[in-house]
Formats: sequence, C-alpha cells, structure tokens
Amino acid sequence: MNRVVVTGLGPVSGIGIGVDEFTAGLRSGRSAAAPIRSFDATGFPHRYAGEVPAFRPEAVLRRLRIADWGRSALFAAAAARLAVTDAGLPLPAADPGRTGAVIGTTSGESTVVEQLVAELVDGGYPAMSAEALRQAPAERLAYAVSAELGLAGESVTLATACSASNYAIGYAYDLLCSGEADVMVAGGADSVCRWAHAGFFRLGALTERQCRPFDRDRSGILTGEGGAALVLETLDHARARGARIYAEVLGYGVNCDAHHMVAPNEDSVAACMRLAQENAGVKPADVDYISTHGTGTPANDLCEARAIRAVFGDHVPPVSSIKSMLGHTMGAASGFGAIATTLAIRHGFLPPTINWANPDPELSWIDPVPNTARPATVRVAQNNGFAFGGNNAITIFGAIR
Amino acid sequence: MSEHDQHMAELREIVAEVLEVEPEEVADTADFVEEYEADSLRAIEILARIEKKYKVEIPQAELNEMRSLKAVHEVVARYAGWQD
Amino acid sequence: MTGVVTGCGVLSAAGDSVTDLLAAVRAGSLVGTDVRGRFEEPLPAAEAPAIADFDVRRLLGRKGTSFLDRATALAMVACGRALADGGLTVDDDNRRRVGVVLGTTTGSLRSTMDFSRDTLVQEKPYLVNPVLFPNTVMNCASGQAAIRYGLRGVNATLAGGPLGFLYALRYALNAIRRGYADALLVGGVEEYTPNTAWAADLTGDGPAGEAAAVYLLRRPDAAAAGTPRAEVLAVATGFHPDDPAEGLAGCARRALATAHVRAGDVWAVAGGDPDPDTLRGVVPAAVERLPVRPALGDCQAATGALALGALLGRYAEDPAPHGRPALITGRSRDGGVAVAVVRGWRRAGDHHG
Repeated sequence: MNRVVVTGLGPVSGIGIGVDEFTAGLRSGRSAAAPIRSFDATGFPHRYAGEVPAFRPEAVLRRLRIADWGRSALFAAAAARLAVTDAGLPLPAADPGRTGAVIGTTSGESTVVEQLVAELVDGGYPAMSAEALRQAPAERLAYAVSAELGLAGESVTLATACSASNYAIGYAYDLLCSGEADVMVAGGADSVCRWAHAGFFRLGALTERQCRPFDRDRSGILTGEGGAALVLETLDHARARGARIYAEVLGYGVNCDAHHMVAPNEDSVAACMRLAQENAGVKPADVDYISTHGTGTPANDLCEARAIRAVFGDHVPPVSSIKSMLGHTMGAASGFGAIATTLAIRHGFLPPTINWANPDPELSWIDPVPNTARPATVRVAQNNGFAFGGNNAITIFGAIR
Repeated sequence: MSEHDQHMAELREIVAEVLEVEPEEVADTADFVEEYEADSLRAIEILARIEKKYKVEIPQAELNEMRSLKAVHEVVARYAGWQD
Repeated sequence: MTGVVTGCGVLSAAGDSVTDLLAAVRAGSLVGTDVRGRFEEPLPAAEAPAIADFDVRRLLGRKGTSFLDRATALAMVACGRALADGGLTVDDDNRRRVGVVLGTTTGSLRSTMDFSRDTLVQEKPYLVNPVLFPNTVMNCASGQAAIRYGLRGVNATLAGGPLGFLYALRYALNAIRRGYADALLVGGVEEYTPNTAWAADLTGDGPAGEAAAVYLLRRPDAAAAGTPRAEVLAVATGFHPDDPAEGLAGCARRALATAHVRAGDVWAVAGGDPDPDTLRGVVPAAVERLPVRPALGDCQAATGALALGALLGRYAEDPAPHGRPALITGRSRDGGVAVAVVRGWRRAGDHHG
C-alpha cells in the first residue's frame, strides 16, 4: 500500500490567488467579503459574498481556450495549474495515463446555467444557446483540469455538494494508495450564483455582511466561490523526483446522514470523524487542529461542536473556520480547508476564525482561534466537510515522518 | 361560512399541501413538527404561501410561534388585520 | 476484488424489466412515448423515449414525495427495486455498510433552472420555494434515496454525462475493494423534461431520453448464497481529447488486463454508441453489439446503466454467453472514455418470457 503526500497547492480564492498570497491571507485573517459583483443583487436584502474579483484565468492558464469553458471549470483549471507549478511537477508526465484529476463541486457550471435561464426567460427554451448548453455539464470541471495539464488518467467530477473536495481528495488518495495512479490533482470549484444566494437567504441561513462561526451571535453563511487544488502523489514518486513534501494524507472517511436533506445530524457527523480517524490510523488525542466545516449558521456550528465533543471528550483541540474569511465556497470549501490544514502543518500556525466577538456559552469547549493566527506545532490535523444530502466527508493530514 | 371559518379552511389547505397530508387530517391544535414531520423548510414555505395569498408580510421570527393551524391563524390575523 | 450484481431496478421507455429493455435495444428503433400534455411548455417533438405512466405518489405514497423532482423520484423507485430484487434487508446492523453511488450530468436541470428562474421573475429575487432548494444540488437523488431506505454508508454522486454510470461503477468498486462498504446501489438516472429535451435538440444530441437503472453491487463474500446476476471485474477510465477512439481502445486493454480477461473471449460490447467500429482491433470482429441509444435516445448518465441492463437481459435469456465476459463502453464529447468488464450468468430462475 503506497503512502500519499501533498506536494503542491493551488488556491484561487477571495483572500489570495496562489499559495503565497493565500498563506499570507490566512495568517493575517483577511476577509473576502464584499458587495456582490457576479450578478445584479438588487432586491436582495443581503448583498455580500466572498467572490474572487481578481480572478483572471488568462493570467494563469496556458492551454485552455477561455471562451470554451464556464467559470467553475476555469476556477478548477487555474487552481490545478497553480498547484502543479507549486509542486514543480514536470509536464507532460512521462506516463500521462498515470496522472489524473478528481474535482468536487456543488453547483457545477452554475453561471452557465444561469445564462441559460436568462435566455429562456427572454425567448423561451429554443432561445437557449447551444454553446452554453455544451458548457453546462458538471463533468467538464475535471475535464478542464485534464485538458489544461495534458493528463490522460482518470478525470472525474464528484458532485457531492459542499463536502465534494474532501470526496475528491479521498478518492484520489485511494487511487494512489492502491497503485492505480502516481499523481492526482484533487480539489473543487464553484461560482457565486443567484440561485444559491436566494436559496440560502430564503432558509434564513445567509448573513448580511460578516460570517462569524462559533460566535454567540453568528447569523449564517456568506456565499463564496473559487477553486482549490492539491497535487497528491505517492511518497515514492515524490521522493524519486526530489519533490518538496508539504504533508502526508493519512486517510479519510465518508458516510451519509440518511436523515434530512439540509439539517446536519450530530451522531452521523461524529461517526464520520471516527471513520476518518480509524482509516488514518490516528486517535482523537493525536489530532492537534481541526479545520471545521464551520458555516456560521447557528445550527451547523452547534451540531459540529457537539459532534466534536462526542468524539474528542475533554481534549478538544483548537478549531477554526476559514469560512469566516472566504465565505462558503461550496464544493471548493473542503479543498480550501485541506490547503489550510496542509499549510498549518508545514508552517506551524493555526488559521484564525475572524469576525469573532463573543463566546457562545453553549459551545464552551470550543477554542475557535479567535481573530488572530496562532503559532502551533501541528502534527495531525482533521479537515471537516459536510453537505446537503447528508454527505459527510473528512480528510486527515499529518506531518511527514 | 363565517370569515373565521373561511380563513381557517384556506389556511388548512395551504398547510396540508406543504406538509403532504389531507386537509381533514390537519387538526386545529396539532403540532406541525410532532404530528406531521414538518421542518424549517416547510415552515418557511407555509409562511411564504400565506404571504402571497393574503398580500401580507410576516417576519420569519414569527415562525417559532406558528406551530399549529390555530397558532398560524392567530399570527396571520394579527398581521393581516383580520377581525375573526 | 470484484463486485457482484445481485439485484437490479430498471425503468426506461421500454418498460420496467431488463427483458423489455433488451427487446427494445435489439429492435433498434426509437421507443416513442406521447409526451404532449406532460408539460405546459412546448416540446421539440410530440414523442420521446420517456418513461410512460410513472406516478411516484402511487409507487411511494404521498408523504415525502410531493416536492421531489422527477430524477430523484425515478432514482428512489429504482433503488427500492434493486434492494428488493437483491433480497437485501437493511437494518441497524448493516445500514452503515450500505450506500448509494449514482451518476448524473447536472442533477435535475429543470429543478435548478426553475429555481433560478424564480429569482428573475418573482416580485423579489429571494421569493423562491425553500422546500425545492435541496432539489438544486446534484446529489439530491442519492441523498433522498439514502433517507428513504435508511442507508448510512458511502454515498456519492458522480457527474459524468454519458460516462456517469461507468464513473459511478468504478467509484463503487473502489469503495468495496477498499473495505468502505459491503453493498452499494449503483446506477444512473436522467429525467425527461422540456429542459433536457430542448438541450438535446439544440446541441444536436437529441432526442433526449429518460431512464433510471440501479444495481445492487455487493462484496463477493457478503453476497447471499446462490448465483448472482453478474460480476463487475474491472472498470478503467481515461481522458483522450485528441484521439478518443485510440484512447478508448487503450482503456479497454487496461480494463481487460486488470480483469485478467483475454480480449478474444469477449462476446459482447454494450454502450450508447451504435458505431460498429468501436473497439475494432481490440475485440473479436464477430462480437455482439448492444447499443442502447438508437432505441432509448440520449439517456446521458443512465446510458451505461441501460447497457448493463441489456447485457443482464442477454445473460438471463441465453445459456450461450453464460459466464463469458462482456464490455460496457462510453465516451464523451470532451474526450472522457471508460470501459467496464462484466460477466453474467443464467440463473436457475431465469426463463424465456
């Protein structure tokens, strides 16, 4: 069974594009929250989101023709290009069939679908443009990565909503462990769109300007977007090419609530943590830091904190939510969590939960690393991801031994 | 039919449709969550349909109270200015 | 390790059984259902290869079904039938080891587009129906099926368009091999709506079809006694935009090598594609071909699942291919390719219609 390591990081986020900017953003507690530019938010009482206005795909991509792809595919491909550059991975690979891409998403090419909706409202179904229809299928997120990098191995898009990046990392980890691939680019991508903004607002789950996870007065998510990619490879492959190794992927776990499409389930989330820890061969006491799902809704944070206590007992490690900085980047969220976790291990710091003002007496066991990054030795870190449909997925990373 | 009965019948219809039961199954004081497995999504949709039908705005904070047909009627009556 | 297929639930325009499905595939002419009157919106054609007479309320009851989209409802019914056909009783002892893995293209395009349209046409952009919000996520069908049947194990949705089912099958086989699950409902689902009908029409992929085909895949050692319907030996995938035909051939060779099957032993190739040249040079020239698309239209992520259904129909009716390997192939416009190697058996209970 191969060991699997992280050798490259590619964040395309509202707090920074590329690993250096992103690391600086995490360390300084930068916020991506700003008035929405992706669509006309007139009429919405809440008009903030965590967008990536600085994203210029042409500045990053080398092979894709930009006009052929939707925004989410471009996020995925740009993140992947940054990650392989960061990894110093020689391309084309000696055996392109042994390098692949697994990308997670919630809403796929949502901005393309919304373009189709606008055409439909104006002129009926026959007015939908064929080009947009060809760009709409979500499978194209992974294909964009493979096409940009010239990869011939497995190229799949996992549509397991807001934990999808962790699903992708987990599946890529399996393919590497079992020797079916040498290198996999794994992560996720999503774009800010009207329908998600409207849906979360309607559920009363959308905050006005600031996402403040684990705060007593937390009032919901901010929708966000971006692309997150990690280069994963077998330890042997990484060592053979003399690659810099950030961290090791120790394992992961997935399960399903089978309870409610939207409401999280404490027992199931706790069960997923135990599955992931068992798969990774670690005990709760080994875990030095948890990058939480931490959406900032009253219900999610309470459920997640209780599940953490159920698993960790009296020894709950520090936790933080980078959604306080990025907003909820949906299918990319646990990919950004994985990048943050990897950086925490590599550089010895805990990313903060920003916008935090008041302790929640109902979450007394939670140390959310409030507002300021903290130096710490992180040997093992857990990265939580939960989703609509009850699709829980948790990845665990460790310092390389 | 009195105005009160008329409103109750209309509200019963809305609640039954969203909670996926027959109108006659919706007892006046039965708790939506306990009896009909309502969740927050359905509660918000009930509120939305009421707002649309009666052209009235009801804050989502009132959802905590609107847990039975009778309670729904009381809240709507307050915001719509019904005298029944 | 392989996965064994012990149950199936197949709904298509051709009917509710693999026998009906096989007959339609063999006949090779489009199965038309009158779809006029099904929607308020205009459709590109009066007939389409859509499932006739599907009434979720009659099949699953009123509770929990009024707000389901059609793709989700179809998936739930197909999952229930696959569980029942495979004789798997889900209880508190095994529900953590039983899950759902489905292939899709965009989830329910109609649900998403209708929800998004409401943000444009309602008086306020946020006046959307919250009960319908979960229908906009692509994992809606797998999540709802898990809720309905109490399945708390591995649950995943793979967006693969025409390769959706084959990607799901590979994902499921991996989960079984890695010991994450003992039994998985694996399938592909696509609904027929004005959205898919027009999309297929406008892109030249038409006519749009409709199908839900789900299989119960189990660990060989966890399967019940008796002969299973079939066994999934290997699934290989790749991405070859520059030369998809050669990419598919390479993919087939890898799948066959993994399965320890000689290409000369393959007796059938099933898939969406009616091209008789598919995999020529890899498999014997006399191989039997079972393309599902001429009869059932563009069923996108369900295509591969229908191909497996047609093969199961052949294994059940004919003793000749008993235990012999067949391939399921798929390729996408963008360059994705996938091949599965399966073999099936004629069981004691399988008889001619």
